[in-house]
Amino acid sequence: MQETRHQFREDLKELERQVLGGLDLVVGQLDRALEAVSYQDVELAAMVVADDDRIDGRYLEVHQGILSLLARQSPVAGDLRIVAALLHCIRCIERMGDQCVNIAKLVPLSGHDSPKDKDILDAIERMGQLARSQVSQSKDALKNRNVELAQDLVHQDAEINRLNRTIFKRAVEVGDEVEMREWGMFMILVARCIERVGDNTVEIAEQVVFVVTGLFREMADIGTSHEAART
Amino acid sequence: MSALSLPEVSPRRRRTDRIMRGVMLAATLLALVPLVLVIFYLLKEGLGSINGAFFTQDPSGSFFGNVGGVRSAILGSVEIVLLATVIAVPIGIGVALYLTEYGTDSRFATVVRYFVDVMTGVPSIVFGLFIYISLVLSHVGGNFTAWKGSVALALLMLPIIIRSAEVVLLLVPASLREAALALGAPRWRIIRKVVLPTAAPGLVTGSLLAVARGMGETAPLLFTAAGASGLTFSLSQQMNSLPLQIYNDVLSPRSAIVSQAWAAGLTLVAMVLILNLIARAISRRSRVA
Amino acid sequence: MIPSETRSKEPTMSTARGPVPDQEEAAPDLSAMGERRAGHGITVNGLNAYYGAQHAVKNVDIDFPANEVTAIIGPSGSGKSTVVRCINRMHEEIPGARAEGSIKLDELDVYDPGVDLTAVRRMIGMVFQKPNPFPTMSIFDNVAAGLRLTGTKSDNLRERVHRSLRAVGLWGEVKNRLNAPGIGLSGGQQQRLCIARTVAVEPEVILMDEPCSALDPIATLKVEELIDELKARYTIVIVTHNMQQAARVANSTVFMLDGEVVEHAPTNDIFTNPKDERTERYVTGKFG
Repeated sequence: MQETRHQFREDLKELERQVLGGLDLVVGQLDRALEAVSYQDVELAAMVVADDDRIDGRYLEVHQGILSLLARQSPVAGDLRIVAALLHCIRCIERMGDQCVNIAKLVPLSGHDSPKDKDILDAIERMGQLARSQVSQSKDALKNRNVELAQDLVHQDAEINRLNRTIFKRAVEVGDEVEMREWGMFMILVARCIERVGDNTVEIAEQVVFVVTGLFREMADIGTSHEAART
Repeated sequence: MSALSLPEVSPRRRRTDRIMRGVMLAATLLALVPLVLVIFYLLKEGLGSINGAFFTQDPSGSFFGNVGGVRSAILGSVEIVLLATVIAVPIGIGVALYLTEYGTDSRFATVVRYFVDVMTGVPSIVFGLFIYISLVLSHVGGNFTAWKGSVALALLMLPIIIRSAEVVLLLVPASLREAALALGAPRWRIIRKVVLPTAAPGLVTGSLLAVARGMGETAPLLFTAAGASGLTFSLSQQMNSLPLQIYNDVLSPRSAIVSQAWAAGLTLVAMVLILNLIARAISRRSRVA
Repeated sequence: MIPSETRSKEPTMSTARGPVPDQEEAAPDLSAMGERRAGHGITVNGLNAYYGAQHAVKNVDIDFPANEVTAIIGPSGSGKSTVVRCINRMHEEIPGARAEGSIKLDELDVYDPGVDLTAVRRMIGMVFQKPNPFPTMSIFDNVAAGLRLTGTKSDNLRERVHRSLRAVGLWGEVKNRLNAPGIGLSGGQQQRLCIARTVAVEPEVILMDEPCSALDPIATLKVEELIDELKARYTIVIVTHNMQQAARVANSTVFMLDGEVVEHAPTNDIFTNPKDERTERYVTGKFG
């Protein structure tokens, strides 16, 4: 039997595909931004900055698509929750893209020959891996409407927050010399960007729970980091 | 994409169309001929007798001398039919109301409807005979009287009124009855204030058509009202009427009286025509409103 | 759904027909009917309705709270119109139809054996899908019809008629032609005239069976705004095919399917997070 509202279902699925694709773009940007930091690759960093246009474009497309769907199709109930969630998620994706750009912009500034601290570098790499896996997991949670995966993201994010604080303390510790201090502060900024990426994946997780249960609950547990994500 | 083209009508179809049109036109003209002839003869034979005296004098009844007029016949017809209407219309509409409002489902209503249908087919002379046997022979309230003629005519008019009233009442939209019911109105008030006013033009039309029919019936009056040529207004005596007058005059050896019969016939047709026109004017006005 | 208290009382759309001289009088003005009064709710319990052998309404329990608008939605044949027609006992006017169960207006059972049908219908008014003003009556007579048909003696008939016309927002449009025939009005005006006719009798409850189906969008919006005003004085039950209409006007919504109540919840919940899978499928249009 032909399903009713065929076009509407198609349009809705397409919007969801675009949002999921946006998460893929974020993973790519994050990978390259972190690589640029590790190897001080200025050209790679410049690519990341340029490619952010794709994410911004994706945001505009999805935004326009949602407006159109709301105006023409009057979605209700489960459909309405999905549409609201997609709008929220694409904003998170756009913010995550901006964080990757911020990371990339820090690469030329942090200097090629400056002294580095291994602990900090390890921590940054670990944070990057975690963030990357969180973005991936948020994509799975959204795609499969998996509430368990979504709720697990909160736990993972706790680890990122912890690493962020560790980097901060370490940078204070090793910041006796001017050059080291400067580099340390740049690394703190990088860590902060990665930490915000993590917070955005938590927001996406909240939306997944909202779509499935119809209830919206903030998953902020370890406090202030959540407010910080709202910039 | 090829351009659209409409095929032309074939010559054979055109010819068939023309032939059929001709056949139907011929049938129509054939049907019209007797009608036209009737009116033509009425006018030809009767117009001459129509003058002032025709309307103001009673038939003299004498073989010689002044032939008189048909005043008593015209007035008699009017009176008898009027009484018949007064009897038949309320009863007829009442029966129709029962059939449409209260008895849509009952067995009894179906039986009533069947009998009404049968009554429309009964020959008018049978009604006259029935009243003759039941009222005249039994000498109830006199012998031949005008009011018994009215009763006979009323019996004739009744099924016509019932049938047409039922149709008209059924045409009143159910939504109006529903609206009135939902307001909390009792049924009889709904009938009085909603159904009857809405159906009124149709009811009047139906009644007028029944009246027109009643005006022209001779047979029922033969054994009931009989006919005197003198003018009388009393309904408890014999009364003259146009059909009766025609019946009496047409076989007369005197040609002037025969012409008068034609004129009376013309008058009768004219009265029926006027009633029909009034009925049609009412129904047209109600539709426009 | 925007809570009704925050919506302005003035109509924000202009009429399509041309300048209306008194724009304020075109808005429904229920204060014309007098003091605000608390209404009475309806409780349906174990209602079963039949058309001959066909079991159209199956053991339905619904609570219609006082001074609220409750909408009943559902596909054709779900029994929603039947339920409503049972409330004012119009259902049994159909040959072969019957109903059993209990329907209480506050404490009075409408299906009590001794109850007077016409009295019930005076307390529970009804507005139909197709506007049905009486064609032989003027605008004034149409509104007065409810009072005259029920034999209600009324010293201030004129005042009551004027009040009802004001209450439905029709006064400004017809005050100069009260003797014109009722059927001369436009569709939307005719429907509001029918509502005025119902309101003039001062019922406790107003039942509406798809009141806007036959109206154009602007007339529909006017009637919806009127419904919003009316609930201050009456309890309103509205059957509608149009889900967006239920979403706009109703405080709570009942979803019926195949003669049964599937879900009854605040309208907001039905349209953002329905509990029953069948409700979800119906409101999102997944029904084939």
